[in-house]
Amino acid sequence: MPDVDVLVVGAGPAGAVAAWHAKQAAPGLDVVLLERDRAVGSPVRCAEGVGDAGLREFANPDGADWAARKITRVIFQAPDDTEVVVAERGVGWILDRTRFDAYLAAEAAAAGAHVLVGAEATGMSRNDNERWDVRVKERGQDTSYRARVVIGADGVETMVGRWAGLDTRVPARDMESCAQYVLQGIECDPDAIYLQFSEAIAPGGYAWIFPKAVGVANVGLGLVALKTDGRNARQYLDAWVDRRFPTAARTGYTVGGVIVHTTIKKTYADGVMIAGDAAHMINPLSGGGIANAMKAGRLAGQTAAAAICAGDTSERRLAAYHHAWMELLGEDHLKYYRIKQALESVDDAFFNKLARTVNKIPREKRSIGRIFTHALIRHPQLIPVAARFFV
Amino acid sequence: MRRVTPDTIAVVDLAVCDRCGLCLPLCPPEAIHLELNVLTVDRAACTGCEKCVGPCPVGALAMVAYA
Repeated sequence: MPDVDVLVVGAGPAGAVAAWHAKQAAPGLDVVLLERDRAVGSPVRCAEGVGDAGLREFANPDGADWAARKITRVIFQAPDDTEVVVAERGVGWILDRTRFDAYLAAEAAAAGAHVLVGAEATGMSRNDNERWDVRVKERGQDTSYRARVVIGADGVETMVGRWAGLDTRVPARDMESCAQYVLQGIECDPDAIYLQFSEAIAPGGYAWIFPKAVGVANVGLGLVALKTDGRNARQYLDAWVDRRFPTAARTGYTVGGVIVHTTIKKTYADGVMIAGDAAHMINPLSGGGIANAMKAGRLAGQTAAAAICAGDTSERRLAAYHHAWMELLGEDHLKYYRIKQALESVDDAFFNKLARTVNKIPREKRSIGRIFTHALIRHPQLIPVAARFFV
Repeated sequence: MRRVTPDTIAVVDLAVCDRCGLCLPLCPPEAIHLELNVLTVDRAACTGCEKCVGPCPVGALAMVAYA
């Protein structure tokens, strides 16, 4: 049985960065990164948008082949299609996740981690030597890895957390059901992302257009099933795309869940840390998770390296990871979650009126903060939760 | 504790299921598993709560009589 120091389950942004930073922090450690699928970064279950600042902490997007499109504008669309253009500098990027995830895994490999594709963890148990025995299916063969620390970066399914006895369940109201097409031959601003809020289009969530090239975009939506009329996410998306882009070619589709909750109460156990979507480390207001995952992965990798070097991988020691995450972003997510709850009380008529009001502000003076200020004037019940964090 | 048998339980249509894993954390008794690209609902563990059915983005889960 291979005996390793750090076993990372899942080679998405959280796992790849965890392996990379564990190895970087302690080059003498054996670090193994497992990917269930045959290729890192595939299939893509993501709208592929990421903020500029968070991304640059880990990778330089300028001229990179994994950066599909630079985004400089955000266009909000009211339920009646009224557009509000918000001009900002360097808002973010639309990635090519098949290439970006491979790039991060290559960084982990360059640091000395072993990357294994087509290797699925199927269970794990704690042995008498304070190690985890992780069962792995690798090209049809059953193998086991013995690890001092297991980092669970296995996404929405979050099986490692479950095996470690952590509560990773999600209430139905905090699960966004998402569906997305890649559309070709559409007319939209290739430097802007579009976000449309409407109970009729995407109840409890929003619909998006994220351009990947001129005329090509990820077009999708996320909704909360409890608020729908009984149709599923794919059916809502079909209705929206039929109306907005009736002639576009649908050259790909994906579905998936985005957990718009707050960080799980406990992200660690003896010899285990959970990072990224698996630990519900997603901005519950935007649904963005890539930068969060990378930041959590870095913390988990560094914590694992330090714990192993100190000879103590107990949950008491690994609790430092949880506290560092909560201080970095977890506490902010609690605030965003409260804002999300407050926004659930606004209806389509409000968004239509807000769009018209905001459009009276000259475009160069429009900012997310100013838009929010107008929303607050119309909807004073948002003030107590929102004022401190946005304006 | 003796488990009460539910009237209906969830089943998955694997021809429709996209293996996205969204339903796994929604299941209170953790009765749904995704292994080697196959989603399964553990008949013995499903309580028939239906929490997995509506959120499935493609409608791959449905309730059937427990028999």
